[in-house]
Parts: sequence; C-alpha cells; structure tokens
Amino acid sequence: MRSLKAASILFMALSLLTLPGCWSSNEIEDLAIYSGVAIDEGDLSEVERGLEEKGGSYSKQNKITATVQIVPLKAGTKDEVKGKTSPYTNISGAGDSLLEIFRQFSLRLNKPIIGHHLKIIVISSQLLKERNIKQVADFMLRDNDIRPNVKIFVSQGEAMQILTTKLPDEVPSFFINDIVKNQFRSSKIMDPVQMTNLDALMYSKQSFILQTIVQAKRQLAFSGAGIIKGETGKWIGHLTEEDVECINWLTNASSSGIIKANNEEGDSIAYEVKGMKTRIRVHTEQDGRLIFQVRVESKGRISEDWSVEGNPSLSSYQKEAEKLFEQKLSMMMDHLLASMQDRYKVDVAKFCEIVRIQKPQLWKKVKSNWDETFSESTVNLDIHVNVTDYGSTTK
Amino acid sequence: MAVSKSFLGPNDKITTSQAAIFLNNAMLGAGILTLPRSVSESVKTPDSWISVLVGGLIAILVVVLMLKLSLRFPGKTVFQYTSAVIGRYPGMIWCLILVFYYIVIAGFEIRAMAEVTMYYLLEGTPIWAITIPFIWLGAYLVIGGIDAIARVSQIVFPISLCILILSYLLSLRLFELDNLRPILGDGLGPVIHGLKSTVLVYSGCEVVMTLTAQLENPKQALKAVLTGVGIPIGLYLFTVIMVIGGVSVDSAVTSTWPTIDLVRSFEVTGFLFERFEFLLMVIWLMQMFCNYSCFFYNSSLGLSQLFKLPYKAVIFALVPVIFLVTMIPQNMNELFGLGDAIGYLSILLFLLFPVFLSLLALMRFGGGGGARHEKS
Repeated sequence: MRSLKAASILFMALSLLTLPGCWSSNEIEDLAIYSGVAIDEGDLSEVERGLEEKGGSYSKQNKITATVQIVPLKAGTKDEVKGKTSPYTNISGAGDSLLEIFRQFSLRLNKPIIGHHLKIIVISSQLLKERNIKQVADFMLRDNDIRPNVKIFVSQGEAMQILTTKLPDEVPSFFINDIVKNQFRSSKIMDPVQMTNLDALMYSKQSFILQTIVQAKRQLAFSGAGIIKGETGKWIGHLTEEDVECINWLTNASSSGIIKANNEEGDSIAYEVKGMKTRIRVHTEQDGRLIFQVRVESKGRISEDWSVEGNPSLSSYQKEAEKLFEQKLSMMMDHLLASMQDRYKVDVAKFCEIVRIQKPQLWKKVKSNWDETFSESTVNLDIHVNVTDYGSTTK
Repeated sequence: MAVSKSFLGPNDKITTSQAAIFLNNAMLGAGILTLPRSVSESVKTPDSWISVLVGGLIAILVVVLMLKLSLRFPGKTVFQYTSAVIGRYPGMIWCLILVFYYIVIAGFEIRAMAEVTMYYLLEGTPIWAITIPFIWLGAYLVIGGIDAIARVSQIVFPISLCILILSYLLSLRLFELDNLRPILGDGLGPVIHGLKSTVLVYSGCEVVMTLTAQLENPKQALKAVLTGVGIPIGLYLFTVIMVIGGVSVDSAVTSTWPTIDLVRSFEVTGFLFERFEFLLMVIWLMQMFCNYSCFFYNSSLGLSQLFKLPYKAVIFALVPVIFLVTMIPQNMNELFGLGDAIGYLSILLFLLFPVFLSLLALMRFGGGGGARHEKS
C-alpha cells in the first residue's frame, strides 16, 4: 500500500517535469525586435524592384511603403560590436496592407519581427495629404504587441529617411524617443501624441497636430507640427515652431522655453520662462459668436541682455523689458491664431475643451462643425509678463 | 484518503469577514476590465462615475433586501426556501433559472479570462489549454465548500487589490482632471441612461441568498454584506475615474479592454517591472478564478439541494457543462453579447425576484423570522 502511494507520488513528481512550460514561448534571441516604423507613399525600394524582376511579388497595390527599424540583439560584447556594424537594420516593403507588408518581411528575414518594443511611428506628411490617418494607423491600434504609448510623428520629406539618419552608435528611433524628454528645456516640443490619444482624437473627429521631424545632411530635428484635419484625417498644413510653442503655453502643456525680443536698437534680450499659466473663459455674443478671453500670466528672468547701456536690475528697465516680451508674445500668439482661424480654419489649441467644459449645452450644438465655429469666433488676448529676477549679474 | 472526512462539504460555516470577501469576489471579476467602456458607451459624457455610484447604491439596496429575505429562513439557502414561499413547482423553476444563471456566468468568466489571456499573454495557446485547467482547479476548490473558497479569496484578494491600486497610482501620470469635466454637463439624463450597464457589473451579488445560510454569526450579516458590496463599489468607482481621467471618454469607448489599455499606456522605466499590464493581468487571473469559483459553487450547491443529489457528483457533472458554456460564444461580439444577456437576466433575478419573494413571504408568513420591517 505504502509503495503504491510512493510510486504514485513519484509518477506525479516526474510528470511535473514534462507538463509545465510555456506553450507558445519564443526565445528573445530568435526575435527581431523593431523599435521604429516609418510609413511613406507607396514606392518600391531598389531591393524590392530587384526582387520583383525575379518574380518576388504578390497581389497588391503599392499604396504605402512601410519601413521597420530592427534593433539587433548584440551577441558579442559592446566594444566588439562597436564600429563594426550599424546598431540597427532597416527593411522596407510596399503594399496596401500594413500587416501584409509586415508578414511579407518573414520571407526576407531569418527572424520574426515583433512589436512589443515599438517606440515611435513616423508618417510622411506627403502620404497623409492623400490618405486618412485612420487607414494608416489602424493596424497599429488593433495589434496586441504594439503598446498604446507608441508616439506618433509626421515627417517633412520621406519618413524612412528620418529612420536612416546617421547618428554614431545611436538607433534613430530611440534617439527621437529621447528628444521628447527635452520638453523641460524647450516648449517647441509638444506633448507627444500617443496611440491612445490618436484613437480618441480620430473617434471624436477633432483636428489635432503631430510633431514634425525634419532632416538635413543626415541630421534630424523637431520642427513645428503638422495639422491633421479631424473630418478628413488628412494633413492640411504646417505650424511653425513658435506656433507649437504658443499652443503649449495656451494649453498649459508646458511652462518652459524662452521669449526673445529685440529692443529699439535691435539688440536681443531673452526672457527665460519659469512659469506660464493660461486661463481661458468663453462667452457668447448675441449673434451666437463665441468670445474667448485668454489671460496668460508668466513669471521668469532676464537671462540674456545684449544692450550695452541697459541695467536689468532697475525695476524701470524691467518694466520696459516686460513690455517688450509682452509685445513679442502677443505677436507670436497672433501668428498662431491667424494660422488657425484664417489660414487653415481649424482648432488645434484645444479651445474645444474650454467650450466642452464651460458650456456643455452649447458644445453639443457646435460639436459637429467646431472648426468653422472656432474660426469665426473672437479671441481676446490679455498677456502679463512678470520679470522676477535677472540672473547672477546686476548690470 | 483520511483528509476527505474533514471536508464538511456544503454544510460548513464561514466567518463574517470571510463572508464579506466571498461576496466581494463574487462581484469583482472580468467586469472591471471592460467596465469603463460599457459605461461610457451608454453615458457618453464623463459622468460615468456618477452612474457607477448610483448603480452601487441600488446594488446595496437590493443586497440588503435579499439579506432580509434570507434571514427569515435561518440556515436555509435560496434553493431551500423558495419552494416554501411560492410552492414546490414554481419554486423549482425559479431555482433552476438561478442555477442556469450561475452556470452561464461561471462559463462567461472563464471565457472572458481566456480571451484576455490569449490576446495579451499567451498568444498561440489553444483556448482549451487555458480554460480546462481553470475549470478543473475550480472543481477541486469547490469540493472544499464555501469555507475553502473563502479562504482562497482571503489570500488572493489582498494581493490583487494591491497590484490593482498600484497600477492605478502609477497611471496618475496620465491623469487629467479635465477629462472628467464637466460634471453633469448634460444633466442627469446620461447618468440614468448609464445605469443599465452599471447594474450589470454588480451582478454576482445574488450569492447573498446562499451565503447568508452559511454564516457563523448571522447577527453580523448586515455588516458582512455591506462590506462585501462596498469594496467593489469603491473599486469600480476608482477604476472608472482613473480610466476616464487617464485616457478620456473617447479613448475608453474605442478600446476593447480599456482598463488594460490604461495600464498599457505608460511604461515605468527603471522600476522593477517596466510594463505593469502583465503583472496586473497575471494577478487578476487569480481574482477571476475566485470569481468563477463562487458561481461554480453556487450552481452545484443549488443543484444538489434542489434534487437532493450528492454534492461532489454534481460538481463533476457540471465540469463539462461549464466547459460547453465557455465554448458557446464563437467570437468577441458573441462573448460581449453573452455578457449583456447575463446582465439582463441578472436584473430579473437580482431585482424582481427578491422583491417578489419578499412580498410573498410577507403575505404568507407575516413578520415572523426575525426582521419585521421589510420596507428596505
């Protein structure tokens, strides 16, 4: 009896060795992890053209070109790899379904690609001119590997060029992902639009902006933002760096950055923003038009002054400087408002949120054609700049 | 095996705190993963949380009513006393509906759990390989009776609670109060409209009607059920506020599993776990397991008491039935459809049934049985 029990326990213990395990496990060394995706207009790359000539094709239309940036797992030590190989591999394919293109890469790579560590997606503005962003991003929103915190950018020029930028020992997608963190230094960097946000924005058909990345001589930079019109989901224009800065300040997304003004002699004087707070109230006029009362209050210091005579420690001088900064800031704001209300007729500075929260009943009525309503409304600016100090030198 | 003698089966008793946790676990299941979407879909404004709160108050009222009804028949479960109130055959039919409901909801929980697991954790694993171990394990636990389930819940719940709260706190970085404003911008209309989907997430509280019979100390029953209902209400409220505040109403509506998506929306670099959704899901699987076990227990107890069948035999007989229920939905839409159907059935069982029974009991037996006032 006892031996029977012992035998059964032994059997169970042994079967434990074979039973557990992960059903569908994949060794990480056998996976090609991609960290960035670039989406362009459908154009065959040289490689693909060559492949097609030899019959390497399938039934498709070349509507988009997708490039994935694969980060290889370094087998050797860091020094060994350094200098010898590029820290990333890019592979492009054209087609009319992102998933199909991705699966097609399985025919050209020795490892399956996997999106768990995707950080950024760059979409060319050229492509978005013709195609709704919903079509382009749909796969990424549905896929279970790709996380909702992937950041989305647009590029001037080819998106795949952004991912091939030559940076010593840097993977461009990680590089771009890190630039976003510099927001505390410059409010020209907007809060990145993530997949979650994109989902909500497309659902509510709001117009929005995506940070633009430009590149020249294989160096890249964040520069302004591309406007995506809510109704069509298409790229309709570009906002300058200063416009983006103003949007950040208007929406209280960031309170960093500088304002540089020129005095009468043309000398530069720079104001470092330490705090920026915007309050917006909305009223309706009798004819139904909306009036936004925007009050911007800022605190900061004079961090650079080129004028030889000026003395930033004098409060009279500070008052004058404040006036200069206020003028400059309202000039910048006016530029932004002109772009939004006259040129593109969209609201991308979240004025809709103000109406939604302050006048929910009205919001229901104007929601469907908000961009037009906003373009016809009046925005009154009330800007207060307050210089609190002048750095470590008094003169 | 000598151990089986110590198993008292369906006759064992539980303490007040065990009862509270048992009730809590009967309500907290897969619902928390989809709640923000289902509520936002019907409310359409950021007021979902008010809806959840009001739904919770209704749930409290109903639970208290069920408790009062059950306390009239000390030591008897709903399956035993229904016949006494409305006659043998109608009682039998009512109870069979209740058993059927428990079986379906048990199957639903397992299936929802399997779907989440297959999509996010174990892609490629066949569904039976996920569901069958859970069903078997559940059977093993249910054989131990309510006491065993309550003990497991006592171990699991604090862990899952900690992880859930931790995930939410980490998501605070996404939280924006503006996403929750304006409050009552469209008046009370949307809130009331949303009630039908919030009542759904409180389904499961019917277990009070069997739970009461097994209380060690029935005098503290009210305290137990109020705690048991209070915790899920608090957690649901917290969930909706964090998800809507974190990702906005529009995103919650478009997401299949909004709560998981909230946790997927951020990475905690340099922390022990960079990606919290895996931890949350793995832990929440245990919670869903407890949840399912509660329903499994109730359905087998019901069948064995109704037909005077041996409890263990019923459990084993139900294993394939639950597996079949698990496999009924052919796709996600059918799964969510089943969830809604359960909700509607639960309104019937959960609102009308206790009220009706209470009234009848009041008419037939007057105020006897302890509680004189039935107007709760």
